[in-house]
Amino acid sequence: MLRIAIIGCGKIADQHVLAVARIPNCQIVAVCDREVLMARQLGERFGIPDAFSDVGEMLKAVKPDVVHITTPPQSHFSLARQCFEAGCHVYLEKPFTVTADEAEQLIRLAEASRLKLTAGHNLQFTPEMLEMRQWVRNGFLGGKPLHLESHFPYSLADVTYIGPVLGSKNHWVRKLPGQLLHNILSHPIAKLAEFLDDELDEITARAYQSPRLRELGGQEILDELRVMIRDRSGTTAYLCFSTQIRPGINQFRIFGPNNSMLVDHGSGCVVCHSNRPNKSYLAFFLPPFHMAREHFRCGCRNIKGFLTRRLHQDSGMKELIERLYASILADGPPPLPYREILLTARIMDQIFAQIYHPDRSVPTEPALQPAL
Amino acid sequence: MGSARRFADFNFLMNSEHIVSQSDRILVTGSNGFIGSRVVATLLEYGYSNLRCFVRPSSRLGRLTETLDRFPSGKDVQVISGDLLSRDDCRNATGNVSIIYHLAAGVEKSFAGAFMNSALSTRNLIDAFLECGQPKRFVNVSSFGVYSNLNLKRGSLLDETCPLESAPQKRFDAYSFGKLKQDELVIEYGAKQNLPYVILRPGMVFGPGKPSLSGRVGIDTFGVFLHMGGSNRLPMTFVDNCADAIVLAGLKPGVNGEVFNVVDDELLTSRQFLRAYKQNVRRFFSVPVPYFVARGMCGLWERYSRWSEGQLPPVFNRRRCSAEWKGNRFSNRKLHEKLGWTPRVPMREALIAFFSQYQTAAAVPPR
Repeated sequence: MLRIAIIGCGKIADQHVLAVARIPNCQIVAVCDREVLMARQLGERFGIPDAFSDVGEMLKAVKPDVVHITTPPQSHFSLARQCFEAGCHVYLEKPFTVTADEAEQLIRLAEASRLKLTAGHNLQFTPEMLEMRQWVRNGFLGGKPLHLESHFPYSLADVTYIGPVLGSKNHWVRKLPGQLLHNILSHPIAKLAEFLDDELDEITARAYQSPRLRELGGQEILDELRVMIRDRSGTTAYLCFSTQIRPGINQFRIFGPNNSMLVDHGSGCVVCHSNRPNKSYLAFFLPPFHMAREHFRCGCRNIKGFLTRRLHQDSGMKELIERLYASILADGPPPLPYREILLTARIMDQIFAQIYHPDRSVPTEPALQPAL
Repeated sequence: MGSARRFADFNFLMNSEHIVSQSDRILVTGSNGFIGSRVVATLLEYGYSNLRCFVRPSSRLGRLTETLDRFPSGKDVQVISGDLLSRDDCRNATGNVSIIYHLAAGVEKSFAGAFMNSALSTRNLIDAFLECGQPKRFVNVSSFGVYSNLNLKRGSLLDETCPLESAPQKRFDAYSFGKLKQDELVIEYGAKQNLPYVILRPGMVFGPGKPSLSGRVGIDTFGVFLHMGGSNRLPMTFVDNCADAIVLAGLKPGVNGEVFNVVDDELLTSRQFLRAYKQNVRRFFSVPVPYFVARGMCGLWERYSRWSEGQLPPVFNRRRCSAEWKGNRFSNRKLHEKLGWTPRVPMREALIAFFSQYQTAAAVPPR
């Protein structure tokens, strides 16, 4: 039985508790928050026996096997280090760290301590991403991906999140190098990092402020981002983060030399595009039916998943946590290769360096950057 | 709403009957909100102009500015922005304050967010009030949502003596959870640190400025409007009447530690209200759902949610069904007796004012 603790009892902590509750052979034994009332409310709601306001005290008192850190990212590095020193494995919510340097140091610490570490890139483990990976492993693409596209939406309609961010310059999101983008961008970038080489020849980022954010009083915050990436082997990637596009597109596209795929997180679909040349007018008749068949297959799979209780909306998080625990118990590789975590952090660093001046007042013009 | 306000007929309390003088400083949190702006207006009507209005930095101050512009003394009102989660902001807000009307509410969907913006912010505010203010009254504006009528029979009276929700997480209602914890905290401060408090629990507050239909009338989650419990009395209170009750709760002597439910005298049934809405706003198709059917469906949903380990979250459950659609009676006897409150706007006028907003703005459908 793995003993689990959670540090940081804000909004995302509920999702962790609910996901852990669906995994056998583990139990949340303590929660901790600098504000003890926050820790108590979480503990009371889920029947978790101990609530602490001091991390050191908690680690000493309950000796957890795994600690989930769900605090603002500025505290991730020091808290994770403290947990490693106490001999605990760590699940670190996204964004993994504030900088790639911190990410690198943490990974080194984890390896030196022979402890497992993972990042909260839970969208990498949704059923549709697992299916896409299976197709790739089976050689559907016909070789190394030639091009990747990651589209990620964010809605400004619900002001309960963006309101406090805009309201205070001291809000923790405002103090991140990439501000609003920093808190979200690891999801779409992690998808690209999985298929890109470590050596990147080019990253070009351009960001803007949307009219809607300007209307809300967005100040220096940027919320529209476009990025082009090319790795040393020639694979290219495109990232589009938008608060304006409707309906919001949350998709990953992967293009191979033979075939391509579209992963749609919004509908939980993987649509395979096979290279089947059609003669004459058949090019107009057959492909739509092929697409319809693909969507029908996805719909059936989702219905089956729902009927068999496997279509949880946060299934990616449960899958990731379960794989982390399995890797701890079997001393196997961590669920997310450290290479991908690090590459994600490095790409984010590069993007933020390009789009924000140090004084954070004016977005920079795009420029070609040297290899990372 | 000027036309609906009938102050000539309204029996004002004399200032000598209030616990503070007109020169004492009063703080209103959530002062730009639907009810808060009416509370500010009512205080100005009472002659209290040494007001400090606390707003979120991100708030657009349309409602508050409009309110202040209506009164000559509005220019004397101090408007400060800040975050109640910041203890420094709370200290700045509470300096030399005698009465706090605490209307700021967490409208978060998550339990943690609701707790943070209700209970934590209230804790910070009370601490600052006790440290920097001259505490004479802390008026905590809560909600009907904190009650549990799970074990009450249909048609029985729900009043201030009824039990509070004992398992808010099972109701899956973050707002009520936050309010419940906020109330518990205020009561604890009253017991341990002698905080002079009054708690108000308004029912279904309606009026111009809030065009949506309350979930107590029905829901449109499934693409068609399900009209729940047609013969139920709705715990309605018109926003101006509610604001009067809140203001009196801060001024009236001898009510420290009391809890007041706020509902108007003339309550409509859900069916009457929906019929009036359709006649005055727009017609749409609705399916009446008897309470026993709603309860059965909610029970099934709850069981499925448990069986599927939360694949569908338990948004519909028996506790919520009871709280919103069981059909209880409501009382405002305590309000009348202890605060001397009477609803200044009769239900007929209140409904006219409520429906008039759809004629001045683009009609807002119920879904």
